[in-house]
Amino acid sequence: MKRTLAFLILALLALVLAQSPLDKLKAALDRLRGPAHQGVYVLTVERPGSTRTYRIRVYTDGKRAHFRVLEPRSEAGQAFLSLGQDLYLYDPRLGRTLRLPPTGRTERFLGSDLTYQDLMGRDLEELFQVEEAQGVLVLTPKPGAATPYGRVEVYLKGDLIERVLYYDQRGQAVRELRLGGYQRLDGAYLPRTMELKDLLKEGYRTRVEIQDVRVGPVPERCFSPLVLERGC
Amino acid sequence: MTLLSLAWRNVLRQRRRTALLSLVVVYVTVAVLFMLGFLDGYGESLVEAYARYVEAPVVVAKEAWWEDPDPTNGFTEPPPLGVPYTPRLSLYVLLRSPYRAEGGVALGVDPEGERRLSRVPAKVAEGRWLEGRGEVVLGYRLAERLDVRVGERLVLETGKAALGLRVVGLLRAGVSNVDFAGVYLHLEDARFLAGTGVWATHLAVEAGRGREEATARALNATLPPGLKAKGVWELMGPIRADYEGSRLFYLPLLGLFMLLAATAVVSTTYVSVRERLREFAVAESLGLTPGRLAAQVALEAALASGVGLVLGLLLGYALLYYTATHDVFGPLMRLSVELLPESGLSEHLYTALRPVYALYASLVVALSGLLALLFPGRLVLRLELARYLKGE
Repeated sequence: MKRTLAFLILALLALVLAQSPLDKLKAALDRLRGPAHQGVYVLTVERPGSTRTYRIRVYTDGKRAHFRVLEPRSEAGQAFLSLGQDLYLYDPRLGRTLRLPPTGRTERFLGSDLTYQDLMGRDLEELFQVEEAQGVLVLTPKPGAATPYGRVEVYLKGDLIERVLYYDQRGQAVRELRLGGYQRLDGAYLPRTMELKDLLKEGYRTRVEIQDVRVGPVPERCFSPLVLERGC
Repeated sequence: MTLLSLAWRNVLRQRRRTALLSLVVVYVTVAVLFMLGFLDGYGESLVEAYARYVEAPVVVAKEAWWEDPDPTNGFTEPPPLGVPYTPRLSLYVLLRSPYRAEGGVALGVDPEGERRLSRVPAKVAEGRWLEGRGEVVLGYRLAERLDVRVGERLVLETGKAALGLRVVGLLRAGVSNVDFAGVYLHLEDARFLAGTGVWATHLAVEAGRGREEATARALNATLPPGLKAKGVWELMGPIRADYEGSRLFYLPLLGLFMLLAATAVVSTTYVSVRERLREFAVAESLGLTPGRLAAQVALEAALASGVGLVLGLLLGYALLYYTATHDVFGPLMRLSVELLPESGLSEHLYTALRPVYALYASLVVALSGLLALLFPGRLVLRLELARYLKGE
């Protein structure tokens, strides 16, 4: 009798604690951004016959981010600020800070395969309905959703996103995002490597490696467009 | 024997010379007819493209919108116009497919209103025209660039909102702006994307062919302050300057052609008169006045060029008829459309065919006669009878 009762309680507890696919996605996305930190991101943009490497100083509180290009010298001083829907860009050649329209979120970051949305966006939970099939979160667009993709598959390892595969509306995989090297920092996780491949163009790949991470609160001034020019 | 029959006989006496002269006039007449027909045909194709595909016969909008075509300068409610119209809402959008993103101008339309005014709805080559919200129709070349097909979703984003719209039709209108950049969506979706409470940015008004400018003027006389109507010519972009520039360039050139042809006729007539001065002296001694003799010279020049004119008109109108009924310039226009995809050029150009061209071409005959009166005619007027009758 006691054994049956314990089993029932455990089953009820499992039911209560079981996450829906959407909850799993939300939790995984929450973990993706890591804790508030400063760090240097090394962005390597590979193209057939050429490779370009950027070193970028990043300040983020998990929701907002400030990027400042350190290298190469020709691009040094460029800065980007992502505040939710608002994007700001500082170009030292222009000597001005520009506010990009929200459509700019889908533009490529420094000519790489990454978009601002990949770096900071939460579109996966906003635009898609989530189901789970064989341990994979399968996302299909909500009716009228503003996404060009026909399906997105999110592969989880535990609670962490390991791979995101974007399909076009003809069932062909077009983009692949791989995340790895998760580190637990200050109670949160941060992927140390990120790789994005354009599956339609051979040789188009972007890698991000996160170095010199310092976890801790980021000064509020880092998220003001006024400091984009001189840095925070 | 009348002066005319005398002149005609003299023209026929030098058949080879007359044939060569006529050939020059034939060439110029054909050139004049063809160029006039081509220029008018080009102008008509532009009017057709802009009135029925790219814009409308007449467009009414706020003056602020004409200055800055931003949706915020549009109408927030239907204005009292006094004539039937269909509302449109144009806005800049980012079009995003899984493969490519591209900026463009989307046009929100009332699907039924558009059917009554524009030829675009009838040019859907694949799929169908808009029926309701959540749909988009694209020019086929734009769809190729974005790599989207009928039935697939395309994302339209503005600074204010974004929508995933299903592609329901692809247009093949043969007009560059429509095929290369046409994006048509339901007016309600456009209002949502504009996100500023705007009802429409401009109103498309019907006007008969050739009545566009008059209709716009009549509307401007009755429109409330702050609104302005523009006829199709005013709606054309830089291509209008190209057309007007072509006319400015080719019309004086045709005038020069005609002057050169008349000069050729007159110089030959001059030589002919010099060879026949003794003959003119005899005719004058028989009682023909110098004035009538000069008139005979002018008539000879006019007749020689007149023969060329008649042949030239026959050939020129035959050529114009052919190019007005066959798509001879199609390959050339398609090449131009590829080079200038946002010019509003049509892939087809048919020449115009108007009787008035014959009148313009016949100026060469009048010019020949006039010049003959001035130069070889003067030789006859200053004839020293005694000298030529003695045979010196």
